[in-house]
Amino acid sequence: MKDHLSRIVDKYPANIFKNRKEHIVLVDHDSENPQTITANTRTIPGIITSRGCCYAGCKGVVIGPIKDAITITHGPIGCGYYSWATRRNKARLEEGETDNYLNYCFSTDLQEGDIVFGGEKKLKRAIKEVVEIFHPQNIMICSTCPVGLIGDDINAVAAWAEQEFHIKVLAFSCEGYKGVTQSAGHHIANNGLIKNVVGTGNTVTGKYSVNLLGEYNIGGDSWEIERVLTRIGYEVVSVMTGNGSIAKIKNAHLANLNLVQCYRSINYIAEMIQTKYGTDWLKVNFIGVQSCIESLRDMARYFDDPVLIARTEEVIAEELDEIMPVINHYQPLCVGKTAALFVGGSRALHYQYLFQDLGMETVLAGFEFAHRDDYEGSEVIPFIKEDADSKNIETLHLEPDEKHYRLVLSREKYETLKKQIPLNYFGGMIKVMKNNSVVIDDINHYEIDEFLKLLKPDIFCAGIKEKYQIHKSGVFSKQLHSYDYTGPYAGFKGAAAFARDIALGLTAPVWNMIRPPWKTEPMLEGSLIKEVI
Amino acid sequence: MMKDDPNPVRSVAENPCNMCMPLGAIIPFKGIENCMVIIHGSQGCATYMRRHMAEHFNEPVDIASSSITERGTIYGGEANLKHGLNNLIQLYQPAVVGILSTCLAETIGEDIVRIAGVFQEEQAGSETPAMIPVPTPGYGGSHFEGYFLALTGIVTALAQPTRRHDRINVLVPHISPADVREIKRLLELMQVQYTLLPDVSATLDAPYTQIYRKIPAGGTVPADIAAMPGARATIQFGATVEDELSPGKYLEINHGVPLYNLSLPMGIVACDRFLNLLETLTGNEIPKQLLDERGRLLDAMVDAHKYNREGRAVVFGEPEMVYALGQVLAENGITPVILATGSKSPRLKELLLDLTADNDEEPLILIDSDFAQIRKHCADKRINLAIGNSDGRILTEKDGIPLVRMGFPVHDRIGGQRILTVGYTGTTQLLDLITNTLLANKLKHYRENMYAKHFPFQPKTIMFKGEVSDDGQF
Ligand code: SF4
Repeated sequence: MKDHLSRIVDKYPANIFKNRKEHIVLVDHDSENPQTITANTRTIPGIITSRGCCYAGCKGVVIGPIKDAITITHGPIGCGYYSWATRRNKARLEEGETDNYLNYCFSTDLQEGDIVFGGEKKLKRAIKEVVEIFHPQNIMICSTCPVGLIGDDINAVAAWAEQEFHIKVLAFSCEGYKGVTQSAGHHIANNGLIKNVVGTGNTVTGKYSVNLLGEYNIGGDSWEIERVLTRIGYEVVSVMTGNGSIAKIKNAHLANLNLVQCYRSINYIAEMIQTKYGTDWLKVNFIGVQSCIESLRDMARYFDDPVLIARTEEVIAEELDEIMPVINHYQPLCVGKTAALFVGGSRALHYQYLFQDLGMETVLAGFEFAHRDDYEGSEVIPFIKEDADSKNIETLHLEPDEKHYRLVLSREKYETLKKQIPLNYFGGMIKVMKNNSVVIDDINHYEIDEFLKLLKPDIFCAGIKEKYQIHKSGVFSKQLHSYDYTGPYAGFKGAAAFARDIALGLTAPVWNMIRPPWKTEPMLEGSLIKEVI
Repeated sequence: MMKDDPNPVRSVAENPCNMCMPLGAIIPFKGIENCMVIIHGSQGCATYMRRHMAEHFNEPVDIASSSITERGTIYGGEANLKHGLNNLIQLYQPAVVGILSTCLAETIGEDIVRIAGVFQEEQAGSETPAMIPVPTPGYGGSHFEGYFLALTGIVTALAQPTRRHDRINVLVPHISPADVREIKRLLELMQVQYTLLPDVSATLDAPYTQIYRKIPAGGTVPADIAAMPGARATIQFGATVEDELSPGKYLEINHGVPLYNLSLPMGIVACDRFLNLLETLTGNEIPKQLLDERGRLLDAMVDAHKYNREGRAVVFGEPEMVYALGQVLAENGITPVILATGSKSPRLKELLLDLTADNDEEPLILIDSDFAQIRKHCADKRINLAIGNSDGRILTEKDGIPLVRMGFPVHDRIGGQRILTVGYTGTTQLLDLITNTLLANKLKHYRENMYAKHFPFQPKTIMFKGEVSDDGQF
């Protein structure tokens, strides 16, 4: 296997070879030292990467799903257009809510003249226009590449607009060139929410109150998770940010536990809330049946109330009664198949558990914009060298809040619990993968082609940019960014939906009519002969 | 803001009807054989455009980026671009490389033409692909302008003085791969020797084959583009294109190739014009097969006219498509109520005014528009048909106006690459779709309308906006 791997990178010119081989790890749990990987470094120019930009991470991922704010993209038309309703982060109005702007796209559509003379005036006029038409309570401004370069001060404009219209106006300087991937944008978005939103509300919360962080409600995922949590008796104070709202996020500091689903995009907020308000965070994974069960049990353990623990088991049992017949029906079609996963920052890990439930093994997994801790676990953070690109993204230094800082657990209890559940800790991807599987960071177009031939996975889960390449190679591809218009895949019911979609995808009749060149068994001929006999 | 100005100057674009320049510029390059594109700027632009095009074409669309970071914004991105070109060439071995710029590159003053030149000098001795730099700042115009800017750039860069030959240049605007295939079929049926540019018919709609090729097969052969100056004539489907963006004009002025600038062959009149021109240029007769297809279109028009006359349409998209559709509507008695584009196209406006000069009801023509504006004007106009890209679905969702999807992008349905609307056959298909959409909408609300009409004093049943009853009234 090692030989095959080196053959893939061997084809590269020398400089790329050196760079790329450090982003690829052949998992070996028997190695003396923990395995390391290079991640979150500059993309190689000219290689066809799947990575996006800072703006995409900020506007597209983290703040985009907030429904009760109008987001104005300050920049030329393209960026706003391309991030318009493309992520299937669903939202609906709930009781008492009035604003949902997710179907809209607003841009200042900067023109040549604005680039030369500055765009602040146009931004102000744009704000005025949307206020007059929509009367929003919140506005968020996101800058794109040229804005930072022409020196527009969007913070000043935001301050002016807050005064002028008596609404909340947040400014995010998330110019596309900052950092090396979307990840920089997540950080900027996290900072903005902590600075200006979290902590500004005062709705009283109950004992079992939680925030669900890093859950974007793709295809309705967070609705399914919230359904289960509410059944057990938890109060979900806010979701960041799927179906989320400023109105709820502002109370996030009052919840008693933070659940972190996508670690990469939201860990900063989890950490900052902990520093400022003392709230612990728990790494959960609601993708997969077993991992759902485990996450719910971890939560119950955290609050350590016998009634809650009993109720948790009761709900788990009832949910399993409902979904297991479905999963058992589809599982035989999946068992023994292999999967490859390449998705943003957490899904490529989370879905491995779901595949496990279906009896499938993950032979390759990689992230698009991860850092080393996403692969190696949060224990590696102190050893990550800061480089010029990450230094450019502001790190907030927060102090405990005088009024709201509190600890939910006693220190002794905390120490004991920390040994049992992933409390303020994330283990990363490498530990859960089997020996000889491939972990790859920032896989590109060329490498996908090579790995498809080498590993011959039965399914390759990725995004739309990769989907058609995979299909053209004769392999089933499932989009894990948008779920190809289905979902939800989270929670118990989501697992059942996933089992169905994967089983039906793997057995689609078309696969019998085409044959990937590297599949040796003659499928079409085989089935024809069978029919004739 | 003037109160009655239907097209007021606004600072916010709400639900835009256009994309940025480099996206449009990518497409002609995708129609050249063995060609790759690199975009000089932050990698997000390339990634967004890839995802957007992949979704429309249902095909892999691979575009490289020079991945400028914050450092590049201070020290310049030249090293990144050269490095990127080097890597791209080594890994893909393209024959042609399109180099496009973005807002970022242009704002920091990168000169991609110069950088491409320097790169080629530095590589002197080793074989390098043809490089075609086309500066395309995102803020410089919409994707429509980007498309023609790149097309002109390609022709300018590759065209060589050539001895006269018998071919005819055919320059097509941004149409679907299926449309390109259909135009090629018409040319072949007319036994024309031609060079069609850009030929995305296979590159953006590749058949499934046993072996996946990282650069899909097909596309216009660079040597054929080089020979364009020797052609007998250029036929350009670019009625709305301004002269300075017109590759056909370039060939005419610089190489004396006569230009026939037509609108897309959609509808009887436009198709006739195209085929008659081919007949004149080649002396070949229009074959029976095509006359039959024409007859079938006429037959369809006759059969459908009674339903179509009830149609009141809003049309939106790229100028060339809007103009062609305007003609199809006119031929079929469908009232064009609103004709809109997100691009700034003064020529489209003139053409549409001409086209609709004799209409009973003067259409509203919106240039440089967005969907917020289009929607606003749809209210109270009893519109029952929308035709355009799938961003127009908002009209269905909010106002109940059914949408016939065509143009770019179609990202909420499958098969954008196969939408066929040109030629007699393509028009027939489109017309059936339009008529059936009108019929479906009518039948869906038929009972309610009849009820409302015959029992006017009963409590009112719910009416759907955009729904027209039998006598043209709500
Ligand atoms: S508008 Fe400019 S920055 Fe935005 S995607 Fe287009 S080229 Fe890139």
